[in-house]
Amino acid sequence: MTMNLTTVKSYLFLRHLSILWILLAMPLAAETARIYVTNRGGTTIDVIDPKTNKVVHVIKGFVSPEVARFSPDGNRIYIPSRSDENVLTVMDRKSEKIIKKVPLSGWANDAAVTKDGRLVLVCIRNTGTTAEDIGALDIIDATSLEKIKSIPTKRGLHDIAVTRDSKYAAVGSPPARSLIVFDLQRMEIAWEVQYDQGVQPLDIESGPDGSGRRIFAQLNQTNGFSVVDFAKRQEVARIKHPDEPTGFGPACEGISHGIGISPDGKTVWANSRPANSVFVYSLPEIKLLGHVSLPEVQVPGKPNRGGGPAWITFTPDSKTVYVSTCGTKSVTAIDLKTMKEVARIPVGEVPDRISTLVLP
Amino acid sequence: MVSKVGLKTVFASFVAALALYAPVPSAGEQSDKTAAAGAARPALDYEFFKARVQPIFLKTRSEDHVRCYACHQVSRHPAGLHLELLPPGQNTWTEEQSRRNFETVSKLVVPGTPLSSLFLLMPLVPEAGGMADTHQGGRQFASQDDPDWKNMEAWVRGQKASGSSAP
Repeated sequence: MTMNLTTVKSYLFLRHLSILWILLAMPLAAETARIYVTNRGGTTIDVIDPKTNKVVHVIKGFVSPEVARFSPDGNRIYIPSRSDENVLTVMDRKSEKIIKKVPLSGWANDAAVTKDGRLVLVCIRNTGTTAEDIGALDIIDATSLEKIKSIPTKRGLHDIAVTRDSKYAAVGSPPARSLIVFDLQRMEIAWEVQYDQGVQPLDIESGPDGSGRRIFAQLNQTNGFSVVDFAKRQEVARIKHPDEPTGFGPACEGISHGIGISPDGKTVWANSRPANSVFVYSLPEIKLLGHVSLPEVQVPGKPNRGGGPAWITFTPDSKTVYVSTCGTKSVTAIDLKTMKEVARIPVGEVPDRISTLVLP
Repeated sequence: MVSKVGLKTVFASFVAALALYAPVPSAGEQSDKTAAAGAARPALDYEFFKARVQPIFLKTRSEDHVRCYACHQVSRHPAGLHLELLPPGQNTWTEEQSRRNFETVSKLVVPGTPLSSLFLLMPLVPEAGGMADTHQGGRQFASQDDPDWKNMEAWVRGQKASGSSAP
């Protein structure tokens, strides 16, 4: 009888322990993420829950928000916008109280946070007040929230990606037709690749140690993307998307807009406006896997138009990719494995840059 | 410096976009167009522009839309509809700047034929014959009955500040 009671107690103890383990393991298994969509034709940022593919929250009050980026702990959001004052708004994510508006050197476009969270990098499209643009990369210290450096560039900067080791940032300049790589330790320009056309969105493929291996950069007159070798500091290939499908118009800007490497590093996804599709390539070999058609704009009595694919982001588990289409006021969720659309999510006016918040 | 190739590309894109997306005119519009082509184009009225069109650029038309000036100020929009920078601390343009805005916007319209004018088509929803799906500022006007859009249209048709239509 005593033995039996002990056995039962032991059983119950082990059972409770196993439940505790399951509970402890749950947050790791169900990593929480949110997709932030900046609606550049409006004043709002839509927040999508990737579990339901619904907009679960709308942040209001930003004039033409450019992008939302996050501190690694998920507590802060950094938002450049097209307000009259050229500032980077730093917001507490939970309370949505503005912590600070950091003065910038000019009109801002994209921004990035280094993986270590130490620096916020802001692409300045124009530091001046005339049509003749002069760019800069503004570097903000994430602790003091002060601009600690502004590295001038010949022309305006548009999009940015950072190596996983936080040592380099690659930035595209459409007007200068160049790809500029910044050394973030020296805080200076390290090297450049000159093109014959404007450089649009880009992403960096990192090696196992987090160092930059290749840069995939879209060009505004190429239906495809350029491949730049980080070590060689030069373009080593230009990937052209298939000729079909085709026939869609130029949409909001350029013919190639929106590119991203899945977090598992196995695929690169690149939008095409002539095809109104996103093309998928395997990595590291850059072999075409297929394409996914994107929403079209339906005009009564006329042929449909392209939806204007804009930017790309992924869930951290590399299961779902999200593509914003500026002309359709929607974001398309696509299953990476099957390459099938799983949801079309209505959002605000001109959804543009799109980013993933990973909640620790 | 804005490169010549860049401007050419922008212009070519506009022309291509217009060719692709401009609404097919109805019979009435077509005769309107033919008449306008045959007759002298109406003169665009500066005073009407200044009083009834220019203020629209600074107006927050709804909380879901950004005002035109946020993107179309010259330092952010080097070609096409590039508006003068507001003088520091001011909420409207000087006379000289308004004249320059008038010149800029006049280049984006075909006087007498509103539905051939990019200025009117770009912010108008596609369902109403516009091209706002290709406009980075989005769908600013939901219909051709929008009072602001009607003011812009009246200006393109040649309406004078005094109220008379041209010519």
